[in-house]
Amino acid sequence: MAQPEPRERYDRYGSEPFFPNHVIRQSIQFVLLFALLILLSSLVPAPMLPKADPFDTPEYVKPAWYFLGAYQFLKVSEKLGFLGPWAPKVIGILAQGLGAMVIWFLPFWDRNPERHPYRRPTAIRAGIAFVFFFLIMTIWGYFS
Amino acid sequence: MTEERDRDARHRARQEFEKRTVFTEIVNLFSLVGFLYGALDEELPFREAVRKQFEKPVCFYRTKLESNLLACLGGIAFLLYLFLLGTGILLLLYYRPTTAEAYSSVVEITNRVPYGWLIRGIHFWAANLMIVTVLLHMMRVFFTAAYRPPRDVTWVNGMMLLLFTFAFGFSGYLLPWNQISYWATTVGTDSMSAIPVVGDTLKYLVRGGDVVGQLALTRTFAFHVVILPALMLLFMVLHFLMIRRQGIADPL
Repeated sequence: MAQPEPRERYDRYGSEPFFPNHVIRQSIQFVLLFALLILLSSLVPAPMLPKADPFDTPEYVKPAWYFLGAYQFLKVSEKLGFLGPWAPKVIGILAQGLGAMVIWFLPFWDRNPERHPYRRPTAIRAGIAFVFFFLIMTIWGYFS
Repeated sequence: MTEERDRDARHRARQEFEKRTVFTEIVNLFSLVGFLYGALDEELPFREAVRKQFEKPVCFYRTKLESNLLACLGGIAFLLYLFLLGTGILLLLYYRPTTAEAYSSVVEITNRVPYGWLIRGIHFWAANLMIVTVLLHMMRVFFTAAYRPPRDVTWVNGMMLLLFTFAFGFSGYLLPWNQISYWATTVGTDSMSAIPVVGDTLKYLVRGGDVVGQLALTRTFAFHVVILPALMLLFMVLHFLMIRRQGIADPL
């Protein structure tokens, strides 16, 4: 894919020197983020839970929210137990591993030259479906 | 003769740049310790390299406000990483990574250490927000198809960064040594054993034994504070160098 010359790109899209313009922009973001973090940690402090007790298994064990989707997927795939005792976990893990690999190597098999969302509907639909699947699994995991 | 004139022109350009960007003071400060003037600078032109990096323009989308806002997400994730690095170093000054003391040291940080609650809160919130921004950044890159060649290696590199971010989350979850962290890690490492062939070995390696205990805490601690930050920084530098070299993707 032909890349325009850097100088030409700068003229076409607009540019600013890294220093001081871009650095100032980043510094403003830094200060705003700092304010947000102080606000959040003042209003909702980090949770303080009881100490770990290896002899007391809680009734419901749930991972952090970003692993909830994957965890719920594993739990759902346990319904596949009729295929054999090995099936649920191996299928649950392999499907997720395969999904991760598909996303990982995305640029190497997605050879559609179009970039605008309207001109690559299949990829956009698949992407939206994937995002919704992740969200639904996470919410389901949260409430189950 | 021409050589001399070239050197003169470069010298003038440098001076002008330093004057224009109020960069002179910083340069003078470094020159005090012999970094930017003298023999070392003759052989390794640091000033030249720094000037090139600082003067190189940063592209942005002049026309579309929304793509500019969306293009910030990666930078925000990086800033959050800096917050995590800073607060993590401060937490490290008081945290004790043993099964007997871990929990009480976290209680001490929260209740006794001055501003400990704030440092821990910022670490907690920055970690959660970083995962959100990293996922949003990934979605932005996917939906605008910015991962296409020649930026395919940047995408794969970014997937490594995502993996490290999740590994950070997983290992950091055990460190407070509370009920949820202990049992979530037990369940999490249990599901590792479902991976074919290497699963059981992996589970045993992470736990350092049959159950989550002192070795598991030592290992997740080492991963969380030494191994992962170094790996993350290395891959981040690669990520940024590639973006700096190629510029951002064309507007749609």
